[in-house]
Amino acid sequence: MMGYVSYLSFFLTLALIYGIATMGLNMQWGFTGLFNAGVVGFFAIGGYAYAIVIGPDRPDLVGGFELPFVIGLLGALAFSALAALIVGLATMRLRSHYLAISTFGIALTIQLVALNFESLTAGNLGLIGLGRPLEDAFDTPLGFNLFYLGLMVVATLVVYGALQLILHSPWGRVLRAIREDEEAAISLGKNVSRFRLEAFVIGCSLMGLAGAFYVGSIGYISPFDFLPIVTFQIWTMLILGGSGNNRGAILGAIVVWGVWTSSGWLISTVLPPAWQVRGAASQVILIGLILVLTLLYRPRGLIGERVTVSSGAKLNDR
Amino acid sequence: MTTRTWALAATVAIAALATGTTGAQAQDCTIPLGAVFPLTGSNGPIGEPIAETGRWAVEQMNEAGGVQGCEVEYLLRDTQGQSAVGVDAARNLVDVQGVPALLGAISSGVSLPILTSVTAPSEVVQVSCCSSSPSFTELAESGESGGFFFRTLPTSRAQGVVLGNIASQNYDEVSVIYINTDYGVNLAQEFQEAYEAWGGTILESVAYNQEQASYRPEVNSALAAEPDALVLIAFPVDGSTILREWISFGGPQEFVLSNALRSDDVLEAVGAQFLDGALGVDNAQVSGPSVEAFNADYQAAFDADPNRPGIHINYDAAAVTLLAMAAAPEATGPAIRDHIRVVTNPEGEEVYPGVDGFSRALELIEAGEPIRYVGASGPISFDENGDVAGPVLIWTVTNGALAEDRVITVDEVNALFDELAQ
Repeated sequence: MMGYVSYLSFFLTLALIYGIATMGLNMQWGFTGLFNAGVVGFFAIGGYAYAIVIGPDRPDLVGGFELPFVIGLLGALAFSALAALIVGLATMRLRSHYLAISTFGIALTIQLVALNFESLTAGNLGLIGLGRPLEDAFDTPLGFNLFYLGLMVVATLVVYGALQLILHSPWGRVLRAIREDEEAAISLGKNVSRFRLEAFVIGCSLMGLAGAFYVGSIGYISPFDFLPIVTFQIWTMLILGGSGNNRGAILGAIVVWGVWTSSGWLISTVLPPAWQVRGAASQVILIGLILVLTLLYRPRGLIGERVTVSSGAKLNDR
Repeated sequence: MTTRTWALAATVAIAALATGTTGAQAQDCTIPLGAVFPLTGSNGPIGEPIAETGRWAVEQMNEAGGVQGCEVEYLLRDTQGQSAVGVDAARNLVDVQGVPALLGAISSGVSLPILTSVTAPSEVVQVSCCSSSPSFTELAESGESGGFFFRTLPTSRAQGVVLGNIASQNYDEVSVIYINTDYGVNLAQEFQEAYEAWGGTILESVAYNQEQASYRPEVNSALAAEPDALVLIAFPVDGSTILREWISFGGPQEFVLSNALRSDDVLEAVGAQFLDGALGVDNAQVSGPSVEAFNADYQAAFDADPNRPGIHINYDAAAVTLLAMAAAPEATGPAIRDHIRVVTNPEGEEVYPGVDGFSRALELIEAGEPIRYVGASGPISFDENGDVAGPVLIWTVTNGALAEDRVITVDEVNALFDELAQ
C-alpha cells in the first residue's frame, strides 16, 4: 500500500510540475492568443539556470554555485524571464503561425546550445550530483516524495492564486480583449505589443519555474530532458484541460500525464510477456485515442473558459 | 470546479489504481524483474530486440528452474526515449510492482535520472547494457549511486590502460596529442594515469579541435619538448594531418595510436613507410565457446542475425542479475547488489548462457559452490564502480600494412587494473 502512496505522490509531483508550465502556456495562449510552440525551450532554461545555481562546483565547468534551493528557483525565474524578454522583443510583432514557427525554432536552438555549450552544461553528459532539496532529512524515498509533493501543491496554489488575481484585474481583461480582437483593443488606446510582451514573459518564466522544479525532483539534467515532444505534451494538457481556465490547465496536466503513464502500466499488466514488446506501439495508439475522444466529446476541454466578460454586461446564451 | 469534473478526476484516479492492483495481487511464488527500454520513438528499432533478449534470458532461467524455486516475471516498460516517461515507469515498477532489480535503459540521458531519482534512493539494483556515459563511474566513485548501478558495456578504461602499458614498455618520454571530445579527454586521462604509474613521463599534452586544415601549433608544442614518441588519440582525417605534419617537422617516427586510427585510410594518407613499427590498441572481437553458443541459440530462437547492437551485453545484464537473484538469500536490492560479484567470481566454475548453463549454475549455487558466469560477451567481471572491461587488441604497422599483434584478454586487463591500483 505504501508503494502506491509513494508512486502516486511521485506521479502527482510530475503532473503538478507540468501543471505550472501549462498555466504559463494558458497565460499566453488561453488569455492572450500567443501561439508559443517553444515551451520546452523555456522549461530547459529554467532547469539549467536552477542546476547551475545550486549545483556542486566542478573545476571543468563554469557555474556550480552551491546556493540554496530557493535561490535556484529565483534564478530559474529570472533567467527564463530574461530569455523570454529577448525572444519576445524580437518576435512579438509576429502573429499566430509565424510566432509558432519562430518559437519552435528557438526551442530547438536552446536544446542545441545545451548540447554543445559544454563548459556550462556539460553537453550530452548532463550535470550530475545536483542533490534534491532536503533529501538527507528523509530516511525513505516515500518521505521525500511526500515532502516534494507538498511543496508542489503549495507552489501550484501560489501560482494559481497569483494568476487569478492578475488575470481578473483590468490588466487581464486587456489580454482577453487582445485575444478576441486586436484592432479593437488598439482602437481603445491599448499598447498591444507591450501587453503581449508582458504576458509572454510571465508565461515563459512560469515554464522556467516548472523546469527548475523538474530538475529539483530528479536531481539530474541533460539536453535529453528537453525534446520537442514535451512542448506537444504541455499543449495537449492545456487544450484537453480547457484553454482559458487555469483550473482546466491543472486538471489537464494531471489527466494527460495520467493517461500517458498509466497506459504503459495497463499494457504491461494486461499483455502476456511475449507480447509486451509489440504492445508498446499500442500504448501510443491508446494515448492518441483517448485524447481524440476527449476532444470529440468535450471540444472546449474538460473545464472550458467561463463565459463571463464583465459583471455588468448582458450575455446571450451561447 | 464543478462536481462533474471532480467525478471525472476521481474516475481517472480509480481507473489508474484498478489497473495496478491486478499486477500486484499475484499470491503464488513469483519474483518480478523490471525492465525499461525505448520500444517506440527514435531508439525503438534498437530497443525492441534488446528488450526481447532480456525476456528470453528470463524465460530460459524459468525453464532452468527459476530463482529460488520461484518463477521470474519480466515486467517491461517503454520509455518512449523520454527521460520523464522512463523515470515514471521505473518509479512505478519499484514502488507498485516491487521489483528488486531493474534492467535498462539504453541512453545515458534516461538511465542517469532513473539512477539518481529512483533506483539509488530506493536501493534497487540497476543493470544497464548500453549506457556509456562516464558520469556513472563518477557517481559510483562519489558514493551517490550506492553501488547499485552496474553496466555490461565495456568502458574505454581498458584501452587507456593498455595504451599506457605498451607505451611505458617502449618509450620513457612521450608527448600526447588528443582530440577535444569526451572520447579523447577520457582516453588521454586514462592513458596518462597508467603511463605515469608505470614510470613514463609525459612532456607535453595538447588537445586539438576537430576538422581544422592544419595542426602546426599543436604539433610544434608537442614536438618542442623533444619526446621519444608521439601518442596520438584522434580520428582518421585529423589524425592523418597531424601525423603528416609531425613527420614533416622532423619528429621521431615512433607512434602509439588510439583505436580510431586503425584504418587503411590513415596508412594511405600518411604513407605506410613512415608509420612502420607504430603501435596501437583497439577493442578485440570477443570470441570463445560461450559467445558461439549464444550466437547459435539466438539464431535458433529468433531466426535473426545476433550481430545487432546491444544484444549480447543485454543478455549478460539479464543473466548476471538473474543469477545474483538466485544466489542472494532474499530478493531485495542490497542482497542482489552484494551477490552480483559472487556469480562473476573469477575463481568459480565457469557457467555459460542458455537453459543448460543456467541449470548448472543453479545446481552449483544450491551446493554453495562459487561460479563464474562467462556470457554472451565473454567473461565478465565488474570493478568497484560496477564497470566492466573488455579484451583489447594490440596492432602494429608492419611492412606497410596493419597487422594484429596480440590480444590482451579480459583477465589480463583486470590484472593490469590490479597492478595500477597498488
